[in-house]
Amino acid sequence: MNDLLMAGGIGAAFGCALECAGLGDPPKLAGQFYLRDFTVLKVMLSAMLTAMLGAFWGGQLGMFDSAAFYLPDTYLLPQLLGGMVFGLGFVLSGLCPGTSCVALASGRIEGAATMLGLFVGVLLVGLAFPAIEPFYRSTPFGSLTLQRLTGLPDGVVVALVTVVAVSVLAWIAKREARP
Amino acid sequence: MKLVRQLGIGALALGLGAPFAGSFFRTQPRALDLDSIARAIDEGSDHVSARQLAQWIRDHRPGLRVIDVRSPAEFRDDAIPTAENVPIDQLAKAHFAPGQTIVLYSQEGAHAGQAWVILRSLGVTQAVFVPGGLADWREEVLYPLLPANASATERAQVEALSHYFGGAPRIGPEQGGDVASAAPIVHGTRRRGC
Repeated sequence: MNDLLMAGGIGAAFGCALECAGLGDPPKLAGQFYLRDFTVLKVMLSAMLTAMLGAFWGGQLGMFDSAAFYLPDTYLLPQLLGGMVFGLGFVLSGLCPGTSCVALASGRIEGAATMLGLFVGVLLVGLAFPAIEPFYRSTPFGSLTLQRLTGLPDGVVVALVTVVAVSVLAWIAKREARP
Repeated sequence: MKLVRQLGIGALALGLGAPFAGSFFRTQPRALDLDSIARAIDEGSDHVSARQLAQWIRDHRPGLRVIDVRSPAEFRDDAIPTAENVPIDQLAKAHFAPGQTIVLYSQEGAHAGQAWVILRSLGVTQAVFVPGGLADWREEVLYPLLPANASATERAQVEALSHYFGGAPRIGPEQGGDVASAAPIVHGTRRRGC
């Protein structure tokens, strides 16, 4: 029960953060694909950076066991296709699953339409699952991480990702400061 | 200084300090604990059957990592679903988290057994191996030989698992006695690798 309450609290905070960042607004999200508005990239990069540094240093300081984190398995081809379908839906509706909930909560009709599409998609995939299951389970790579892929130590990967993320965020800030 | 810039500098400092903080997963090499190895072998907690592994994969057992210790060429040719390829000579460099269940397999089991000892010597105690390897996977999971007089329940269980992984059971001659409990699956006469 405590877990559920915590999940609810974290979900509400996540929704608030998305709304505060303006990610309930479809034209703002679609603007990322046309390189007009970098809000999505800024929010996602800073969130990933915070989570990565928090997970790494929290584990190092003994606050929790980083090794117990769930790492989803990689199925390369099905996930590539899924990513493309996801991206197509994202640019068409201007919303992703999380932001569609936020948009609906803010009273935007686009949010309701995207969530309806999301549930119809989930239902169709569920019904077609026996037929697509062999593809769904194809090209498995287990829990694939940058460490496994490159053979570099964890700390070095954390440092490299941090440098790339901070550089991109600084570049966006500079670009936005231009008149 | 603006807050955003301070946050950026803070993140950079934490990130650049990470290489000096050690590994995410602390698997330190240790001395070989021969007593615990002998105990695990004696108790049978060192291995898992191919059918059990298949059930774990199907049920998405949390923390399960299936490791194929054969060469990349053999892995590309045929592998157990969800498995990752860590050739036996790369095993000592791999990271294994304490909460994971590591299942090792090879072609017929001998190399997987040796890989299990390597992991134990590295202090990885949550590893098991499949004694018959990929050959057992084919014989026990993909194409198990069911006796003709197998019970409906047993047949349904074996068929469901086999179909899940894209195989189909074969029907063999009738077996005497309590089929379900004594001889759930008829094995071939292949010599075991381990």
